[in-house]
Amino acid sequence: METKMQEKNISANELEQCVKCTVCTAYCPVLKVSVIYPGPKQSGPDGERYRLKSSLFMDNNIKYCLNCKRCEVVCPSGVKIADIIHSARETYGRQIPKVRDFILASTDLMGSVASPFAPVVNAVTGLGATKFVLDKVMAIDHRRTFPKYSGTKFETWFRKEAAPVQGTFKKRVSYFHGCYVNYNYPQLGKDFVTLMNALGVGVDLLEKERCCGVAKISSGMFDTARKHARINIASMEKAMSDGRKVLTTSTTCTLTMKDEYPDILGLDNTSVKDGIVLAIRYIYEMLEKGEAKIAFKEGYRARAAYHVPCHMEKMGLSIFTRKLLKMIPGMELVSLDSNCCGIAGTYGFKKENYARSQAIGKALFDNINAVNPDFVACECETCKWQIEMSTAYKVKNPVSILAEAVDIEKTKKLNNA
Amino acid sequence: MIPAQTTNDFDVIIIGGGITGTGTARDCALRGLRVLLVERDDIATGATGRNHGLLHSGARYAVKDSESAEECIRENTILRKIAAHCVEDTQGLFITLPEDEEIGYGLDYQKQFIDACTRAGIKATAMDPREAIAMEPSVNPALIGAVQVPDGSVDPFRLCSANLVDAKLHGAKVLTYHELVEIIREGDTVRGVRVRNKTTGQTSAYFAPVTVNAAGIWGHQVAEMAGVHVGMYPAKGALLIFAHRVNNVVINRCRKSADGDILVPGDTVSVIGTTSTKIPFEECDDVRVTPEEVDLMLREGSRLAPSLMTTRVLRAYAGVRPLVSADNDPTGRNISRGIVCLDHEKRDGLRGFITITGGKLMTYRLMAEMATDAVCEKLGVTVGCSTATTPLPGSESSDIKEISKKLWKMPTIAQKASVGRVGTRASQIKADDRFERSLVCECEQVSVAEVRSAMDNLDVHNLVDLRRRTRVGMGTCQGQLCACRAAGLLGKNRLCVKKEREDLASFMEERWKGLRPVAWGDALRGAELSAWEYSEVLGFDKEDEQ
Amino acid sequence: MKFDTIIIGGGLSALTCGIKLAKAGRDCLIIASGESALSFNSGSFGLLSRLPDGTAVEEPLKAIEQLPSSHPYVKIGIDNTRRYAASAKEFFADCGISLRGTERNLWRYTSSGKMKRCWLAMEDTTAFVSREDKVGDKALIVTVKGFQDFFPGFVAESLEKKGISCRCESIELDELDMLRSNASEMRATNIALTMEKDKIRKSFVKEISRIRQDEDMLILPQIFGYEDTRALEDIRKAVGMPVTFISTLMPSVPGIRTQKMLKKAFEAAGGTLMMGDCVTGAVIEGGKIKSVLTSNLGSYGLEADNFVLATGSFFGKGLASDFTKIYEPVLGLDVDASEKRDEWYSSSFFDRQAFIGFGVKTDNDLHPSRDGEAISNLYAAGSVLSGAESLYEGSGAGVAIITAMYAADKILEG
Repeated sequence: METKMQEKNISANELEQCVKCTVCTAYCPVLKVSVIYPGPKQSGPDGERYRLKSSLFMDNNIKYCLNCKRCEVVCPSGVKIADIIHSARETYGRQIPKVRDFILASTDLMGSVASPFAPVVNAVTGLGATKFVLDKVMAIDHRRTFPKYSGTKFETWFRKEAAPVQGTFKKRVSYFHGCYVNYNYPQLGKDFVTLMNALGVGVDLLEKERCCGVAKISSGMFDTARKHARINIASMEKAMSDGRKVLTTSTTCTLTMKDEYPDILGLDNTSVKDGIVLAIRYIYEMLEKGEAKIAFKEGYRARAAYHVPCHMEKMGLSIFTRKLLKMIPGMELVSLDSNCCGIAGTYGFKKENYARSQAIGKALFDNINAVNPDFVACECETCKWQIEMSTAYKVKNPVSILAEAVDIEKTKKLNNA
Repeated sequence: MIPAQTTNDFDVIIIGGGITGTGTARDCALRGLRVLLVERDDIATGATGRNHGLLHSGARYAVKDSESAEECIRENTILRKIAAHCVEDTQGLFITLPEDEEIGYGLDYQKQFIDACTRAGIKATAMDPREAIAMEPSVNPALIGAVQVPDGSVDPFRLCSANLVDAKLHGAKVLTYHELVEIIREGDTVRGVRVRNKTTGQTSAYFAPVTVNAAGIWGHQVAEMAGVHVGMYPAKGALLIFAHRVNNVVINRCRKSADGDILVPGDTVSVIGTTSTKIPFEECDDVRVTPEEVDLMLREGSRLAPSLMTTRVLRAYAGVRPLVSADNDPTGRNISRGIVCLDHEKRDGLRGFITITGGKLMTYRLMAEMATDAVCEKLGVTVGCSTATTPLPGSESSDIKEISKKLWKMPTIAQKASVGRVGTRASQIKADDRFERSLVCECEQVSVAEVRSAMDNLDVHNLVDLRRRTRVGMGTCQGQLCACRAAGLLGKNRLCVKKEREDLASFMEERWKGLRPVAWGDALRGAELSAWEYSEVLGFDKEDEQ
Repeated sequence: MKFDTIIIGGGLSALTCGIKLAKAGRDCLIIASGESALSFNSGSFGLLSRLPDGTAVEEPLKAIEQLPSSHPYVKIGIDNTRRYAASAKEFFADCGISLRGTERNLWRYTSSGKMKRCWLAMEDTTAFVSREDKVGDKALIVTVKGFQDFFPGFVAESLEKKGISCRCESIELDELDMLRSNASEMRATNIALTMEKDKIRKSFVKEISRIRQDEDMLILPQIFGYEDTRALEDIRKAVGMPVTFISTLMPSVPGIRTQKMLKKAFEAAGGTLMMGDCVTGAVIEGGKIKSVLTSNLGSYGLEADNFVLATGSFFGKGLASDFTKIYEPVLGLDVDASEKRDEWYSSSFFDRQAFIGFGVKTDNDLHPSRDGEAISNLYAAGSVLSGAESLYEGSGAGVAIITAMYAADKILEG
């Protein structure tokens, strides 16, 4: 239906719905630790009115935004504050990414170069001298622990070990594994495939998968991000043509492909948006509808502290994780206070952000230490790096926790798999 | 700086602090006259501050009124030079829509329009719809043709303030908030004026051989006080402000002038207008926008830019044009929008009294020149007019980036915004320490330093005046935070808290007047939030018992 | 996914209802689209300060008898209202929020120095039994240098009218001044966050002692107690003279703290919070809501036996308006509102505004209706209700709390 006169208030990223209530400023994790960042209100809707007049009014310090989207979660007016900020960086900023930003943003490229040499790369990035060079030359902070590169890419493992048996399943999903699973932590992907298979669901990879683009967006490489996004949309469209879903295990990839493609990159993703489903939600829904059954190991005991990653908070999907993990007999799930861990993807790797990043995360680290759990449950890979680097606790993806707690053989039988 | 006059004797007294009055004061002062300007409110409170802020190219008048068109393009070119910090070169489009064809304003008319522009000296270039959309993406995509002309936007508050600043720099004395109570006449000669200070209630008399009536629509009453009749016709024009810049190029309709056919981007907003309705003189002091006018503006506006259908409206306001019969015909049959300069000695046998009226914001400088010429002729002064070539204070350069870089090593957004508002005079805004740099008004990027500087240098008597000088409270929140903060600063400076409390209340009432006609959707949400904040947190409400 | 009760809205009313239900063992979900109006709270709750005819109210629970039958307090029954009002202090104390109040309205200072009535005062609000009450004769009014959202001058002028002499000072500390290096972010909440640090608070207290002359009372803005009331209590003890705290411009420190504490209490009682999501519609069958849909979850319905609509008024988007009408945007419920836009407002900004009294129609059990048909498992609570001119009456928080408690009990009874 055509919109009637003044029935709606439409503006780019809902800029004009702002009623200047200042609530966002009270919940911004960056503002809490830093005065360089102009804050969500000034960087977002306030600043945008001036930028619309002239790019002369662009404040480059808006780059200190973490894109955690907590401002959007607390905004009573529905303003897409972080999207305004990140769109402004492309529209008004003149950015040529530094080599450092290029490297950090190229999670895929670096991964495919590094993986075959994983032991060497891991050893080198862990070395004091290398860190010194990274720090001084590249401005990647030397205090930062680098994510390890795995020797065998997930894709390689999948083709060799898993792909041949997937044809035996009638029900199929496609899996967008993301750079992290592929290069750094294939175990999560393996857990996912094992679990899905046990639940009677076959898993295929997309014909072509590119990096979702989140690191590129945050480093200002919008064109590359767009190029990859188009390939991903096309691959997902193809996969979904038989009505199947594309499942993910990374919250940030999910948010990027569902929301940032249209809001920041200006791409139309309506054909695939609803078909991208976070695995944990998909599994919950299957169990709820009775489409699959699950059996847990006897004697499984764990006390987990659940950290809801910022992007999970934004997508509002943590209820599925909570409900699923609470199904596990012997699981004591403690909710951590809602806080940002501070890393925000590649943000915390940049030398200029390291101190800020750690300061932001402090409340979360203290909270975890106080709870003293067996491990932390969390869906996000970069939160995992940050928490594991900053506390003594292991972080597990809920999919891996399930895979660990489920009696795979029994579950297979229940689902005739 | 020439010190202001200390006695009550002047060469010329100018009544009215609108753009015509301040412009005339400047011209007279530049020519060495001892000038007194009296204004019953603040400067720019009448029609000056209540129009589109359009820097006409003259194209709008080219077909029907070539004289006005030529005046406009001449003044347009001059103002770009002398008032650089008040003018933004946006360029303008005159668009032809499919429905215009049906009423005889199709592309044939467009040709006629371009010819007329060319004859008047206005550069007019035809564009195909695609080019027009590329130049201004918000334009109605249904257009069948467009013409680019050198329109722009002009900030009337800044322009008026800059004229006043220069007049004062050249010795003029300015009395705002002084109400005219009498025009002192001796026989058939006007000797001066008696004014009442609205703050103290005190009355004083000032004398000069010539008095200029530059009071806009109120010039009608001023003339009556002098005992002469100027047949004026108050024509109300309503306008709406949208909450952000919808367009960056002025959009006009290429057809006979009608209601709501100009959309002008100005600073952080866009303005649509206007209407023309005759109203009684009694209503001139408090013109209000009706729901029907709001409706009309939105309907017509969305033909220019369809997104106006769904764009938040910030406020509504209306001004009164001082229309006048051009030919001394007291019946007013022949109303002109052109400039009218009446020497009442020649017209009515009243010596020492001149009325300058009609015209438009665009042609204020020319009007001032005409009035000053008339004054000089009476005084036997032969100094020529220099306002067409002398930049206004602040307009020595228009490059915000360049000016900012000269003043500060790392200019902040607010500092650049200040330069946008006061031009090179931003050098007066110190902003040395953290507090001075902090924002009073977050929507419009106004710093403590700029507020203080305006209070010290720009005849600011209250918060509403401050708004006209700095844009404090003109943004999306309409004074929710900034008005209180500014009141805090004003109160501290003046050590008069009680007055500031009243001042704050009247500021919010003034904001509400413009907000109320358009308070729906997010504007109503904002109004509710402000109402709670002012009543519950600040304790501002009409309580019966206190 | 199924819950016992789903509450739409996340403000004072929604949380009160949710905590009460969760504590009774019900599986509760709160869906909130952003933070609520509590974020701008003055540091106090009102029950009734003025009757619709303008009469000032001293004893709110007596005065409710004079309210019209359309008022929520009367709708749910005057006895119920009294009972819930009486239980409020204990209810909030259980959530860690200590409130002060009596059966008579108290007086508090607003930031312009003018006094206003209130029912319950938070710990940061100094409330007086009588408006003539004086804490001392000489007041030291202290603010943070560069803080623009507190007005010592206004406060001093009001106090001086009472015969209290005043001296205004501002304190400068490096850590606080750092905040000012950001042009916009020296806000009450950011100062309060800095003041959480013991060291900074100590230096602040030291400064106060240094500048104090012979003053016997201290006035401070509400800039203490970001996470809990520890900093607040500490300041009160440390300064060595009676302190009166006065509200600042938004965001409000006591309001945001209270909001956080209520959320914690809700989660601690087993409730589930979905923040930043927005209910987009509902499946209604046979006069009952079966499930609601949200913008994050798309077509996935959230089911419950009972639903509570506590979405607030216009600011909270419980009510919406456009060019031509006022409506309830979440479920399309029937509303009590004037159809003429001209009648929504007063010509003076500071007069009572009709639009603030608009809201959804309900029966006496607070069941709203759609197209004239009551929805039997839906309750409305708080400022989305019609019948209370909350701002004029000073009844915003009272209506929110009391109707929420009533709705919770109805659900528990059912």
